[in-house]
Amino acid sequence: MELKDRRLRSRTSGFRMEFRRRDYSAEEQGHVLRRSLSDHHPLLPPSPSFNNQVVDEKNGNNDFYDPLRGLNAEDSASVEEKDNNNSQVSSKEWTSFKRFLMQKFPVSKMISIASMSDVIIKSSASFRKSSESSHLEEVDDPQRISQEDVKVITGHEYVSRLHELKDEINRAWHAEDRVTALKLTIQVAKLLMDTSVLQFYPTLFVLATDVLDMLGDMVWKRIQQKAEFSEDGTFLCSLPEDFKTSDICSDAKETCNNWFCKVGSIRELLPRIYLELAIFPCWRFLLDKPQDSLQRLVMMARGVVDPLASTYCRLYMAHCARKLPLSDIGHLVTCVNDTKILLMRHLSAREDGHFSDKKRVLVSLMEPSIEYIMKCIFENTSQSQRQVDSVLLELGLGRNQEDLYGSSPCVSLVLHHLLKELPTEVIKSNFVGILHLIECSQDHYFDQCLNYRLLGFRLSESRSKLDIVYSVVDKVIQAVAQYDRLDQYLRVVDAYMDIVLQNQMDNHLKTILEGISKRACHKEIHEDELESLESILMKLLSHFTDLNDVLALDHFLEILDVMFGNPRSNINMHILSMATRTGYLHDLSTIQLLFEISQSLHDVIDFGSMKDDEYQQPLRLISRFVEMVDCGTEMEQHLMFLVECRGAFGSINELKETLVHSSNCLAIKALKDGRKHLTFVKSCIAFSEVTIPSVLEHVVQFNLYIETAEVALLGGLVSHSDGLVVSAISCLECFDLTDGSRTSIDAGGMLSSIQKLCSLLVMFPGNPDEGITRFPNSILSLINSKSWMTPRMKIRLFCGIILLLATLSQNKLPYYPYRAEITGNDLLFFGDPSYMHEIAALSECVLQNLISFIEQEPPKAAHGTMALEACNCIASAFVVCQDTLEVCWKLIEIGRLCLGADDRYLQSTIKYLKEQLPSSEKVPSCSNLIFA
Amino acid sequence: MSTKIVLKFFRSNRIYRPSEPVEGKIVVNSPSSISHHGIRLSVTGSVSLQVRGGSAGVIESFYGVVKPITIVNKSIEVKPPGKIGSGTTELPFTMVLKQIGEKSLGRFYETFHGTDVSIQYLFTVDIARGYLYKSLSATTEVIVESDKADVLERPVSPEMAIFCITQDTQRHPLLPEIKSGGFRVTGRISTLCSLLDPISGELTVETSAVPISSIDIHLLRVESVLVGEKIVTETSLIQTTQIADGDVCRNLTLPIYVILPRLLTCPSVFAGPFSIEFKVSIVISFQSELSKLHKKSDPRTPRLWLAMETLPLELVRTRRGDL
Repeated sequence: MELKDRRLRSRTSGFRMEFRRRDYSAEEQGHVLRRSLSDHHPLLPPSPSFNNQVVDEKNGNNDFYDPLRGLNAEDSASVEEKDNNNSQVSSKEWTSFKRFLMQKFPVSKMISIASMSDVIIKSSASFRKSSESSHLEEVDDPQRISQEDVKVITGHEYVSRLHELKDEINRAWHAEDRVTALKLTIQVAKLLMDTSVLQFYPTLFVLATDVLDMLGDMVWKRIQQKAEFSEDGTFLCSLPEDFKTSDICSDAKETCNNWFCKVGSIRELLPRIYLELAIFPCWRFLLDKPQDSLQRLVMMARGVVDPLASTYCRLYMAHCARKLPLSDIGHLVTCVNDTKILLMRHLSAREDGHFSDKKRVLVSLMEPSIEYIMKCIFENTSQSQRQVDSVLLELGLGRNQEDLYGSSPCVSLVLHHLLKELPTEVIKSNFVGILHLIECSQDHYFDQCLNYRLLGFRLSESRSKLDIVYSVVDKVIQAVAQYDRLDQYLRVVDAYMDIVLQNQMDNHLKTILEGISKRACHKEIHEDELESLESILMKLLSHFTDLNDVLALDHFLEILDVMFGNPRSNINMHILSMATRTGYLHDLSTIQLLFEISQSLHDVIDFGSMKDDEYQQPLRLISRFVEMVDCGTEMEQHLMFLVECRGAFGSINELKETLVHSSNCLAIKALKDGRKHLTFVKSCIAFSEVTIPSVLEHVVQFNLYIETAEVALLGGLVSHSDGLVVSAISCLECFDLTDGSRTSIDAGGMLSSIQKLCSLLVMFPGNPDEGITRFPNSILSLINSKSWMTPRMKIRLFCGIILLLATLSQNKLPYYPYRAEITGNDLLFFGDPSYMHEIAALSECVLQNLISFIEQEPPKAAHGTMALEACNCIASAFVVCQDTLEVCWKLIEIGRLCLGADDRYLQSTIKYLKEQLPSSEKVPSCSNLIFA
Repeated sequence: MSTKIVLKFFRSNRIYRPSEPVEGKIVVNSPSSISHHGIRLSVTGSVSLQVRGGSAGVIESFYGVVKPITIVNKSIEVKPPGKIGSGTTELPFTMVLKQIGEKSLGRFYETFHGTDVSIQYLFTVDIARGYLYKSLSATTEVIVESDKADVLERPVSPEMAIFCITQDTQRHPLLPEIKSGGFRVTGRISTLCSLLDPISGELTVETSAVPISSIDIHLLRVESVLVGEKIVTETSLIQTTQIADGDVCRNLTLPIYVILPRLLTCPSVFAGPFSIEFKVSIVISFQSELSKLHKKSDPRTPRLWLAMETLPLELVRTRRGDL
């Protein structure tokens, strides 16, 4: 052996290097980490003592936060802040409420304006010149233009004019011209009297109240300043949060009183109420109990008869009242009651087609206001039964049975929002009464089914006694059985789905599904109905853990079949994810059904128009489904299924990868079963081989080739494997930056794939006819020819080839194909000098390539690391001798230049090199310099 | 730049009672120094009477102004003759309208600005500068409210009148449909009211066959002036306050809440040569095509589509709480 090596060495010109002998099993024994038992799970919650330490660290400026650890440390602080921020919270709520209003009722295109609002017309665009002077006149004479003179402007112009007005008011105020500011604000408030364009009113309201709130704030600040500073500007005191009127100096009170006088002199009712509301918080400077004024304003609002104007006026009232530290809600209850009376009166009036449409719009416009006020009522009522009782009584809904029955039918819109806000406890003890209320309040402008629906939601959150739940559900299901319209039926049923499912009311479930299928089949399904259907089926699916239970339900598939579009896809996806969640799919009929579902999911996908992330999810699910299919011993059947999938989902690129993986898995499974399936294994590999070329990306193709090659190798199919590796390499050869649509390549992934190929080649029996080093050679030529390879990649691949060759030179290979009857190169070429020679020749060539490549590279830190990597590789592959040392020294010198002498990698490399140094070898003088 | 004189009062609202000292300063802003023959501050309080219409005859209207009644007229010297330097000079002053024991010319009526009767208190500063120069002066009005001593001691309990307006209480003709359909509006309203309080009350529309378009409260003043042997009375509208806009719900109580405008109101006065009284009037307008044709008519004129009820209103000055 020794002799042979010598000969080998002498024959190689240039470098005289020798592969290091390795004893892999001994090395493994030496390097393996010692394992020790642990009785502590690393992710379990830490012990208390440890926790304390963490808290201490936190206080000590260490802001490390472990998301897996307890959250208790920071809760206490936020609670204190909550109280102070109460008003901020309500103002934030108001802002979001306003945004919601604007979005719900977008501005219509054209708006006709009655005479009142000349302030808008006057100074918009064409009339700009006379604006300043005319405003003042208008205050005195708002009715200059006769009523018939209606103007039309766009909604956009109107809005921008209001914004301008706001600026104008702001400017006037800050120019000490408060009278003008007030007059203009009154003009803005007057705009709210015009409800002729229904759809525009919410927007108008939001914009106008913005202006009013601004004025209110400015007045408040001015009076506060008067109270806190004396006339010559010296600071007197700062008002406490809960100041009393006795804290306010008479000057401030005088000013405040003046404001109320000015506002009180407005002739028209609605603007007068709005203006007083705007400065309402200022009553606190004059009165210790401003509640009474609020009550008066509520009463005053009764004089506003227009339902829209008065409802929004009450909405503003609720908003302004929240600025005061009040807990009283009497005014809000009166507001609701007054709205109720107004609504009943308005809705009961005679109607024909046109008016009834208008009323429907009107009711929908009024809804947000009622909703907001209801929310305010129950916001502070907490859960106190007594308080809720009194509210209910005042709303005309007594607590006991007799009262509920005796009371006049409630307006269902009001009932709806009451139902929404009532504390769960109250709902819980009153289901029967509420149900009765819903039954008897049926007006045409608000769908009764919405109340049934809401009751369902409240019922499911209340955790009531079973008998109550049963009786309510019974009644509701009975009631909705009368509905002919699918949409109404679905809306109600949707709300009860959870209850029905949780309580195993199987007969109801049956009725519901039957009811749906009766109403849905043979009819066109509308968008909103689809949504409800989706929600119902979703609930059904999420309730059951086993898909088969769902599929066994009557009418389920029927209902699924009437669905289409997105909702259908969502349900399909849910079914797929449900099916693949629990484990492998064995049942052939289920597999067939899921295959059909996948097909319908696949058919909807429009690769042309959809965005990537829109169809990623269904594709992933289909792939997952294919992956999870397992026909057990029916392997032929499974392969057939894969073939079928390839046909059906040919357009899904990602799926092909799964198909190849699956067929490879099948092959392995067959192999494990014994030699008898060899033909089947061959067909699997053939399937893979045929499928791979249709995969779009070369990188994926390459990986799949290697995987299949490995499988073929395990099956002992050397020639198949050989061909697959050839394909893999040629696939890399075809790969070019210009070729794929992607401009950036995953260099890291590519590198590790090729490295993986190198490690696979260790097991490959060499073919002397083709040349033993045929594959390493092709990789080498790849490195040199492909421009997309990064320098780092190149160096690592050079190293990879060197390591591969070093391994192949060993007398015993580190690993062999599992169970395969393939002879490795160690046995095939044991002691064959030409084999060794070929390997040594190639390694020399690679080494030269490597060194010249490193020397070409500009000196950078990254480059230094690469040089050191190469040095480590050489030191571990070859016996350290004079020549090796020279090469290594060169590389270390480069590393030192690029990284500096203190670099830790550099030092550990030097240390490693020293360890490898046989003591007898003479250290070259140059090396001494470094090692000193 | 010319010389500027401004009168500044320490009370920014300039409301004083006759026995209170009126304190302030005279601010002179001059580019150069001025020599003067003394700076005097004078106060004039007077009731000016005028006859312009109402029940006045043609002849009286020609006469126009009736001789004003002087309440107070006095002056003090703030600075003896001398010189004022250039720049801003401030000269503080104190003056009492009604010195205790001093005999005044007339009663100190409260400040009031009406059509025919006007009660004003003017402070004037004069800087006499000899014959060659124009004398410099500035005038500012202060608002006078009754003295504490004159104010009713007891807190006034506001008096309310109950009213009931129907088609039969109207003394003017109504539209036939209003007359035949009928209506009934009831409620109560203040008839004696402190100037500091709003006019309060409530109103309920019990029935009305014809839809209502608006309900307004008019505040009226009744000024009477003695011209020779004759009393000339004029009623004019001070303020309109709408309390219902549209056809209000029946049997729903609406509040009446009218803040009294300052300066335009004062305690009701019955003096020899003149009197100032007030009235409130509840006006119900019914929806009618006719009303659109008469947009700008005087709201007090009885019309076919209006129903109204006018009640006297006595205004009194009460203690100014803690204001």
